[in-house]
Amino acid sequence: MIFSILSLTPELSWMLIKVLVCIGFLMLLAPPLTWVERRGSAMIQDRIGPNRAALFGKIKILGLAHVLADGLKFFFKEDLIPKDANRSLFWIAPALAFIPALLGFAVIPVGRSFQVEGVTYHLSLIDPNNGMGLLYPLAIGGLAVYGVLVAAWSSNNKWSILGGMRASAQMVSYELGLGLSVLALFVAVGGYDPHEVILDQVEHGWFLWRQPIGFLVFFVCQFAETNRLPFDFAEGESEIVAGFHTEFGSMKFGLMGLTEYIHIIVASALIVTLYLGGWSIPFNGDGDRWPVLVTVASFLVKLLFMCWVFVWVRWTLPRFRYDQLMYLGWRIMFPLSLLNLVLNAWWITR
Amino acid sequence: MATLVKKIQLSWWDRLYFPSVLKGMWITWGHFIRQILTPTSKRFTIQYPEMKKEMPEGYRGLHELKQFEDGSIKCVACFMCQEACPARCITIEAEEFSDLNFTQGFEEKRPKVFKIDMLRCIYCGMCEEACPKDAIWLRKDYELAAYDRLSLNYGKWDLMNTYADTDGKPIQTESSELPPSPPRNFVTM
Amino acid sequence: MFLAFTLLTLGSALAMAFQKNVIVAGLFLVATFIGVSGLFILLSNPVSAALQIIVYAGAILVLLLFVIMMLNAHEEESPQDDLYLQRYIALGVGGLLLGGSLWFIKQSKLLQSVAERPIDQIAPTSLNEIGAEMLTRHIVSFEMIGLLLLVSMIGAITLVKKRL
Repeated sequence: MIFSILSLTPELSWMLIKVLVCIGFLMLLAPPLTWVERRGSAMIQDRIGPNRAALFGKIKILGLAHVLADGLKFFFKEDLIPKDANRSLFWIAPALAFIPALLGFAVIPVGRSFQVEGVTYHLSLIDPNNGMGLLYPLAIGGLAVYGVLVAAWSSNNKWSILGGMRASAQMVSYELGLGLSVLALFVAVGGYDPHEVILDQVEHGWFLWRQPIGFLVFFVCQFAETNRLPFDFAEGESEIVAGFHTEFGSMKFGLMGLTEYIHIIVASALIVTLYLGGWSIPFNGDGDRWPVLVTVASFLVKLLFMCWVFVWVRWTLPRFRYDQLMYLGWRIMFPLSLLNLVLNAWWITR
Repeated sequence: MATLVKKIQLSWWDRLYFPSVLKGMWITWGHFIRQILTPTSKRFTIQYPEMKKEMPEGYRGLHELKQFEDGSIKCVACFMCQEACPARCITIEAEEFSDLNFTQGFEEKRPKVFKIDMLRCIYCGMCEEACPKDAIWLRKDYELAAYDRLSLNYGKWDLMNTYADTDGKPIQTESSELPPSPPRNFVTM
Repeated sequence: MFLAFTLLTLGSALAMAFQKNVIVAGLFLVATFIGVSGLFILLSNPVSAALQIIVYAGAILVLLLFVIMMLNAHEEESPQDDLYLQRYIALGVGGLLLGGSLWFIKQSKLLQSVAERPIDQIAPTSLNEIGAEMLTRHIVSFEMIGLLLLVSMIGAITLVKKRL
């Protein structure tokens, strides 16, 4: 009805719905993730975690009100810009970090495609067979470095710039392993569209079992790409204060924080799509039998589990030393991913 | 003398790191599950305003000026505590005092002003040691907060009521010191 | 769409050329690359678009900016006034190159055939096709480039590593 008023075609309105739902989903999931992080870390360390903030002074809902309170606080904080900062770059830096993080989700199919009245609807923002496929998240992931770099450089702070340098060097180094492990996947599938990858997994089983080395490399490199512990070299309280966002306050800092969690969601979505069978339901060969919503639910469960793994790993492992990080990236992850590629190439030409 | 740190050569299994990472994940998972299944009241954390820690024996918290059962102050203003106080936070002014109900008409000494500056006090307990009358006690309360410095300069009545809540006693004020009592019939000699 | 991407490309390229701050110029270069990749998509060549971003924006420029930040080249070099002759020569050579490339584009048979192809025949190029092309028709140049990269890698290692 409303679509006829706006004179939208079904395709266009479907697109609009998808964009709204996807971005809304990302934005809504990221703040609760901070809650999961804080409460989860508390439980892991035998603590209780934040549980005091209450809605209207009464409703505590397990500390979820802290999320709201934090958001509100960010809006009302004073917006400081350091004296010698590059003002314009300082302003756009959070956006530069935030937007690529959001964009990465676009190619990921959250459920199986379905047909209504002869029109096929796909549950991913960008329709399959667009030729870009999984190159797209890789490309967008590459752009994510700029947010960190620009934020670091524009705030005119030595800690910031050290953090930014470390983060960018790390992200560029680990992109190699990332790309190569995905390449091995392409070789095995014979295509590079996420839909093809998922359908292949439905048919032959998850890539987690078929390419464990590739999964390991991809997983570790995703941690490095999201700048999460044990690879959080953009920050480092004991060495460089808060790293690249030392100078950021109020909602700018809020955006930086959200960016981290959206990166986690997108990284988990990628891992789920590539190695955990996407929306497919395990121990079940034929994906088309299930209703669409079940597949979406399956995807969401896997996604949330991966997000939890990100949190879980953070509170298990200590941070690496920087030279160890580079050693791991170049001498272990890179050769491992090459080995994985060669093995897979040999396997399919056998 | 310098100690030589032995460099431990890791075996290939340790150098894989992955098994130990998994082991660590298992441990944190165990902690997570154990903590999440423990009811809040049994957790190790003491959630402060609702739950309070039972202070150990011999803890020196806020002071209380003790009183007799009839409500009169035990302190005789001997200045021993003031002398003993290393932080010099106690100020006493003595007065003479005579009342038929309490002292049977004899002249006695008691503090007119008994002040402890709680911000200066170091809670060493020397006053408690010095007191010949067991009139000042350092007990287990540790909650001391106010909006200004002046209100932490505790006077005689504040000090007498520090533990009124804890003990469930009525709060003593200047007027309640001398409860109205019927005039006694004195036996004349 | 075409207009938007063209404006993005040209505008940020110009801004880059006139920007005094090296890092801001680098960021404009990134914007240029993004515009170019958008143009690639409009030319129904998404693979090139993605590679443009991955390789140029994602890797090369990051390293470039990294080096600039490391050297911390904030200060402007003082303009040298005694290079008039060079300036004119540069202008002349630039104009010649521009004219030449325009002439080449006008003459090119391949581009002509692309332009005359009906629009419904254009299908997005996929990675598979590009891979097949590379390893069949362009195998020699592919191998040459691989060799070149190998050589440059060895060169970089020998330059950096003092004790081999």
